Amino acid sequence: MTSHGIPRSATREERTADARQRELKEISEYQRLVEEVNQKVQAEEFTPELLQKTAELLRRNPEYYTIWNHRRRIYVHEFQDLEKQVSAGELEEDSRVSQVLDIIQLDLQFLFPLLLKFPKCYWIWNHRLWLLQQATALLPVSKARPLWEEELGLVGKMLSRDSRNFHGWGYRRIVVQSLESPTLHGQSMSRQELDYTKQMIGINLSNFSAWHNRSKLILKVLDEENASDEERKKMLDAELELIHQALFDPYDQSLWFYHQNLMCSFDLDLAERSMAPNLSNEQRLTYIASERRYIEEVLEDAQDCKWPYQALIECTLLEAKLRQGLQDDDKKQILQWLKELKTLDPLREGRWVDMEQSLIKGTA
Amino acid sequence: MALVAGPGRGGSHLSSGSSPAPAGLVIDKHVKYIQGLDSRKDELDYWLTEHLRLNGVYWGLTALHLLGHPDALPRDKTLHFVFACQNQDGGFGAAPGHDSHMLYTVSAVQILATINALPELENRREGGKERIAQYIASLQDPNTGTFAGDEWGETDTRFLYGAFNALSILNMMHLVNVEKAVSYIQACANFDGGFGRAPGAESHAGQIFTCLGALSIVRRLDLVDTTRLGAWLSERQLSNGGLNGRPEKLVDVCYSWWVLSSLAMLGKLHWINASQLTKFILTCQDPEHGGISDMPGDMVDVFHTVFGVAGLSLLGYPGLVEVDPV
Repeated sequence: MTSHGIPRSATREERTADARQRELKEISEYQRLVEEVNQKVQAEEFTPELLQKTAELLRRNPEYYTIWNHRRRIYVHEFQDLEKQVSAGELEEDSRVSQVLDIIQLDLQFLFPLLLKFPKCYWIWNHRLWLLQQATALLPVSKARPLWEEELGLVGKMLSRDSRNFHGWGYRRIVVQSLESPTLHGQSMSRQELDYTKQMIGINLSNFSAWHNRSKLILKVLDEENASDEERKKMLDAELELIHQALFDPYDQSLWFYHQNLMCSFDLDLAERSMAPNLSNEQRLTYIASERRYIEEVLEDAQDCKWPYQALIECTLLEAKLRQGLQDDDKKQILQWLKELKTLDPLREGRWVDMEQSLIKGTA
Repeated sequence: MALVAGPGRGGSHLSSGSSPAPAGLVIDKHVKYIQGLDSRKDELDYWLTEHLRLNGVYWGLTALHLLGHPDALPRDKTLHFVFACQNQDGGFGAAPGHDSHMLYTVSAVQILATINALPELENRREGGKERIAQYIASLQDPNTGTFAGDEWGETDTRFLYGAFNALSILNMMHLVNVEKAVSYIQACANFDGGFGRAPGAESHAGQIFTCLGALSIVRRLDLVDTTRLGAWLSERQLSNGGLNGRPEKLVDVCYSWWVLSSLAMLGKLHWINASQLTKFILTCQDPEHGGISDMPGDMVDVFHTVFGVAGLSLLGYPGLVEVDPV
């Protein structure tokens, strides 16, 4: 939005007279183009020339959302026209299909370089999605589905260029959902997508977008496969192992947030919505003890890192919840860790003080 | 009338690392910067940012109010511009001739409220208020409860918040299904306590603001895991004092608003370090020509100016008018 990440450069006072003239000329050209497009749309002169002009305008300014709307109006008009011709017996259904397909494919191609140039522009993503939805609505599955499949490839490319792109991940979920839908004769892709998150994590451990998606997909996979408690436990074990391997960099908060997610299975208040909801309390305590040992090891090699302390506090509080009470020794231990946190992490001192207070008052 | 001519005046060339201790907030310069935005029609960027014009007016106006100069823009010109952006369907576009969209309709209502001009709606046309409210209400998806941005159907929790914000200002919340919208927000919650733009989407400080704001308006903050979310939000502060919007991302002044106002709604404003954040925001201002940028050394713009100033206001910076986090 607006000017993220644009370094300060020449100000307008520093422009030469020449540059000023050039800019004024550009402005009047741009305004002429805008005016022309708007007039033609208002007069409903939906010609190939108008389409060309909207493309020209959008290449210069893809944020001009009204022009995207105009482009869609032109296509809606065209699609309806083709349908009318078919009903009137002037056009074969096959040629309607191939013409609609052409229009959609050409526009998807027009959008691709724009998307590479402006990967955070909401309107470009929206327009692509609209085109694909039109494909689903107006074309036989055999023609529409390959477009969506190609789209999955494209969003993969976008995410390998910027693996945290918020739009990219959201868009990927929508594309997958469409490909899974009965309308497109699809079936679940959860396993495949779960593998994809692992692949992305393998490239960059710090990719919280991938970890996040993983947390959602695991629940989906387990539900879809009607996993037994034993299978759920197995999944949890595998995830704990994965995160332990990743945590060789204990300074990366993405990893600790994912670890916190796994710990939800041991939290009486949250277990129900976790991947292993039916562990016995005995099992939970065993898990927590093992996590605690692991975190202590991490701490040994990273004494100046705040995250292991936070995780240890969490383990202790979870245990207390399961045992229905916090032992005095544990309380002392937590207060000691909080003292460390206040030194290591002074930015969040207020949070540590609050926690200290609630421990002392016995409301933690 | 226009206000988001964007960059072009970021005059101070701070070399990173060697920047001197920041001066205090240069209030007069920021006021001048905002007043000057509309006189920049000889810059191409002025025209390329037309799609943000009405938002720009709102951002500029809000910044001026917070800076204690509510009358720095002429009221009649502002009103004239806002009404020129309204379309037949009752919604507002970014500028005259632009299509209606939730984002601009909300800005229009906010501007009218800010300059005490809501009665104008009825004076100009009977049922003027309801006409806008009906446009907004028509964008609610009856099946899911969330809101679309416009007739083309993109949905996002940003639009849901916008709808609640504008409808509550217009006193027309009864036109929408609040309960359904609230369940939708709940479906957007993640294990880290945060919210995304749709169910399944990653937590993001901007979307958290919109979800908390919406829940706040309908007094349902009880649905939020305050401790968990507060902790996640507090971890947005990095060692340079600035805030980011997601784990392992760069800091940016606009999160001074999204993160901070969210923390304020949860009553956890003290979970980050206020003086470090203040310092960070001040290093992003252009001390010569006014305006605030996303991070030190970048171009200033009105968007980051208002969110920087609003952040400072939440932090209780002296000389600023107090801002409501919702």
